[in-house]
Amino acid sequence: MIETLLLKLRKRDVISAEEEQALRDTLVEVEDIPPRQTILRRGETLHRSVLLLSGLMCRYKDLRDGQRQITALHVPGDFLDLHGFTLKYLDHDVMSLPASRVAYARHDRLTQLTEEFPHLTRLLWFSTNLDAAMHREWELSLGCRSGAARAAHLFCEIYTRLEIVRQVDGYAFTFQLNQAELGECLGLTVVHTNRVLRDLREKGLLDFSRGLAVIHDLERLKAFAEFDPTYLYLHQTQR
Amino acid sequence: MPRFFFYVVNGHGEIADDEGSDAESHSAARKIALDSIRSMVAEDARAGRIDLSGRIEIKDASRNILLTVCYAEAFDVRMPEGSASD
Repeated sequence: MIETLLLKLRKRDVISAEEEQALRDTLVEVEDIPPRQTILRRGETLHRSVLLLSGLMCRYKDLRDGQRQITALHVPGDFLDLHGFTLKYLDHDVMSLPASRVAYARHDRLTQLTEEFPHLTRLLWFSTNLDAAMHREWELSLGCRSGAARAAHLFCEIYTRLEIVRQVDGYAFTFQLNQAELGECLGLTVVHTNRVLRDLREKGLLDFSRGLAVIHDLERLKAFAEFDPTYLYLHQTQR
Repeated sequence: MPRFFFYVVNGHGEIADDEGSDAESHSAARKIALDSIRSMVAEDARAGRIDLSGRIEIKDASRNILLTVCYAEAFDVRMPEGSASD
């Protein structure tokens, strides 16, 4: 059930059999979430954290006029709100994009885990640090990259993250959000997003349509986006 | 909610919209077009180019044109006196 989480963590460090069992014992309750459902709202008191098992989910913030910024995308193996374990409420909302499946870790159980497994605790801390690193890269995109480079960078990132959890098929992967939602990740309107995707298609870099992304030339896409995966901390080391 | 398809037509040709977007009304669809024109022109402006000759054709599911929004409609343009903007 938590294989994607294990793949994600083992990419970065060694996990013992005892630690693996502790994670399995912590993540017990499973729930299926329908598409486009907000499962956590800002300000709600939290007693558990949510691990994504399958599907695609996002964190977002919005303004009174309805404008929405998706601040992070989550792929299987990601904790959507591990930061909620210490924050106890979120400053943002969490929503499913396609139908998704999640597992819950109760906070009292996580507290016990931090007391019994210091190394595993550091790995969970690492994963919230990794979330912060991705936020910084998205900030750079939103502030400095062109629309096309912003989109190219996001596709490089998602491809890299999905490859770790074995959810890519060669250079193709399902990425089930619509153009309006993709635009909300990129800070672009839906029509602008369509123009940007057309640019990437015409450059022979990428096709994205109806929830399926196909990368035609990964090296050129990375170069165009100035994608440097250093911020994803992909090396295995003792943490 | 009705679905609208936003086709961008400019000097380089047409960008088709295969997916479409939901909007509550024609005026809401027009607002999406205006916001999009401003966003696209703003990005081009950062690269030193402003081209207001394009338009967005808003179509229904059968691809009949419902509304046309010209790029120039999205802006109140003021130029220095005596300047030519050919």
